[in-house]
Amino acid sequence: MIMSNFIFGRYLPGNSWIHKMSPQAKLLISFFFVLVIFLANNLISYAMLIVLILATIVLSGISISFFIKGIRPLLWLIIFTVLLQILFSSGGTPIFKWGIFSITDQSLINGGYIFIRFLLIIMMSTVLMLTTSPLALADGIQTLLKPLKRLHFPVDTLALMLSIALRFVPTLMDETQTIMNAQRARGVDFGSGSIKHRIKVAVPLLIPLFTGAITHAENLSTAMEARGFTDSEHRSKYRIYKWQKRDTISFLVYILVAVLVILVRK
Amino acid sequence: MKNIIEVKNISFKYPEQSEIFKDLSFEIKRGEWTAIIGQNGSGKSTIAKLIDGLYQPMSGEIFVDDLLVNEENINKIHKKIGLVFQNPDDQFVGATVEDDVAFGLENQLMSTDEMHTIVEKSLKSVNMWEYRERVPESLSGGQKQRVAIAGIIALAPQIIILDESTSMLDPLGRKDIIDLIYRLKQELNLTVISITHDIDEAALADRIMILNQGQLVEATDPNDMFSNEDKLLELGLDVPYTVKLMDALRQQGLDVPHRYMDEGELVKWITQLK
Amino acid sequence: MDNTIKIDHLSHLYDDGSNNPVYALKDVTLTIKDNSYVSIIGHTGSGKSTLVQHINALLKPTTGELSVGDFKIEPKTSNKNLKKFRQHVGMVFQFPEKQLFEETVIKDIMFGPLNYGKSESVAEQLALEAMDLVGLDSKLAEKSPFDLSGGQKRRVAMAGVLAMQPEILILDEPTAGLDPKSHREIMDLIYRMHIDRQMTIILVTHQMDDVVQYSDQVVVMDHGEVVKVGNSTEIFNDPQWLIQHQLALPSNAEFAYRLSQAGYQVPGNLDNIWQLAKAIIEVGEVDHE
Repeated sequence: MIMSNFIFGRYLPGNSWIHKMSPQAKLLISFFFVLVIFLANNLISYAMLIVLILATIVLSGISISFFIKGIRPLLWLIIFTVLLQILFSSGGTPIFKWGIFSITDQSLINGGYIFIRFLLIIMMSTVLMLTTSPLALADGIQTLLKPLKRLHFPVDTLALMLSIALRFVPTLMDETQTIMNAQRARGVDFGSGSIKHRIKVAVPLLIPLFTGAITHAENLSTAMEARGFTDSEHRSKYRIYKWQKRDTISFLVYILVAVLVILVRK
Repeated sequence: MKNIIEVKNISFKYPEQSEIFKDLSFEIKRGEWTAIIGQNGSGKSTIAKLIDGLYQPMSGEIFVDDLLVNEENINKIHKKIGLVFQNPDDQFVGATVEDDVAFGLENQLMSTDEMHTIVEKSLKSVNMWEYRERVPESLSGGQKQRVAIAGIIALAPQIIILDESTSMLDPLGRKDIIDLIYRLKQELNLTVISITHDIDEAALADRIMILNQGQLVEATDPNDMFSNEDKLLELGLDVPYTVKLMDALRQQGLDVPHRYMDEGELVKWITQLK
Repeated sequence: MDNTIKIDHLSHLYDDGSNNPVYALKDVTLTIKDNSYVSIIGHTGSGKSTLVQHINALLKPTTGELSVGDFKIEPKTSNKNLKKFRQHVGMVFQFPEKQLFEETVIKDIMFGPLNYGKSESVAEQLALEAMDLVGLDSKLAEKSPFDLSGGQKRRVAMAGVLAMQPEILILDEPTAGLDPKSHREIMDLIYRMHIDRQMTIILVTHQMDDVVQYSDQVVVMDHGEVVKVGNSTEIFNDPQWLIQHQLALPSNAEFAYRLSQAGYQVPGNLDNIWQLAKAIIEVGEVDHE
């Protein structure tokens, strides 16, 4: 239930065009899209990107309400940044002035653009998270980082660690909830009172949580060893995500839009 | 019958603790089901880990299928033995059911195609194939243990060791896992060692071994063993239900034979009263 | 004080963020008499844990209400009032040893009483009494709880709840994972608390033999609803119904059921093994005549 506010790790299984894309392609396109966002600088270029992301969302077959939920936890950060931009940017015709603060037509427009940028980045990462299982994501990262193996960078170890960590997130969340309940039953008030009080009540939560996590880790490593695990760099793979035709097509569409953005920007 | 496991004069202690085993020797016969019982803290689980080479004895030797358990042979030993642990969550390595079953196969560097065939076969044999895409948090404890068993039989072991594998399950889940192991033992010609508190699990065994003060002795007579309630509790077991009922029947004047009967046998015996 | 628990048309809705919220509890109406021993049974996910968490005010109802004595919890009850309520209702969670965190056993047991405003010396006194109750040697008081065996940790956790002197004690699978000897000792302890201290006991369990042996009232849950309430004879006289609801049978009922399947009908109340043995013998004799 704690998880319900976070989009991260909230994979929604499905069969859409986007779901079926390979994770490495989705990751690459997401990075590429973020870069393109910073190239846009006028209304028409932003409009193109909005159309592109909306089309992507429609193709993912996921209800828009999930995207709105994804924005909610970040709302204050967005408002704060946009306000800073509006209040402190220079240039343009002043509309309102008070002390060191001034609002100009230009700063309002800049604030609006920043807001759209945030929205676009959040939408894109939400599509990525909701359509890609954490496991596939770990595999995608592993595939993309493969060239680093030549530099003796432990790519496979990293991917395995990531996938096990992700697998234990719900288990630990569950345990957090149980321990909190047990301590509340013993009279602890979580989430109210002074900072000092809050730090104090964290102890009966964190110590059991850590001891639990250490036990899990010890047992898990014994179980892995018993199943023949020696070294994460010498294993075969059960899942292989091949780059597919649909990945190439999607990428080409994004490149096309990027070219258009470059053409129409100021 | 030939011995599949031979433990010869081993001693073992954990760091900064006193010795749990001193000069311990015993054998396990191929194809048998052996239950190991003993009090909490008697070192039952340590035995499983020693046999599988997860811990090294201070002295003495262990042979599994004629192979000495040591650093050099450790991969072969792990392939011969499948261990099912107590906590269902702590042995679920993969992100989904099928990934978990594949984990051991990936360690063997098996090809992807071959893995898919074996994962399917293993999950079908524990009736978890429809759950292949599920994540662990959506499964019950019993279902997770089924997946653990699938992950083990995927590696085609000769021996399965149940290290208190049913102790965290509810009674139906417990029975389910025991029935499953019983069936797999027949189908795959397995040797089973179950370390347990569960009397129904122990009563299924061909042999019961009792761990007491660092020594393992075979219980010679199930009748004696199952009727001494105090001693059983001391060893971490309850009295089998049928023994309690036979006792109650006897005390009310019925002449019940003095031998251990399981539920099926006792039902059969009672129906002959008519 | 009268500690009758009245649950009136209580529902609890889990909103997991998707568009189809799930009813964890659906229109539950139930009365638990003061000083009774109640077992709540049902397969995993039937709503047992959610129900008892309401009785302990860890969850508030979405609709409906719950009262214990004069204290009432409704959807709009403020969280501030809940803490006082929780003092009356002790809750031992499943695998309660997971909640231990203090440096010493005694400190951990004192934690609850201190939170409810008891002085150090009173809390220590309560903790020592609780240790005695659960059968922990007072020599263990200054040891780290993490150095104890599994069974001892379980007792420390139980003592931590008992030291708060609750009048109602909820236990969620208190013997899960324990060996038969510890199981018996813990069940005896709970029964002693019920008899000696007039505690209302609410036991969530899968162990049907314990249900038959100890409880005055049995509540069966399925899919978030209470599907049957009665004494153990009423609940366990219909094996087919229990199997349908994915519930295990108590040993006696199960054996009687197997006998009946084999054509040997054993009638009557089979709450204990003596009655079953008697019935078996009688059926045998009747047929001989």
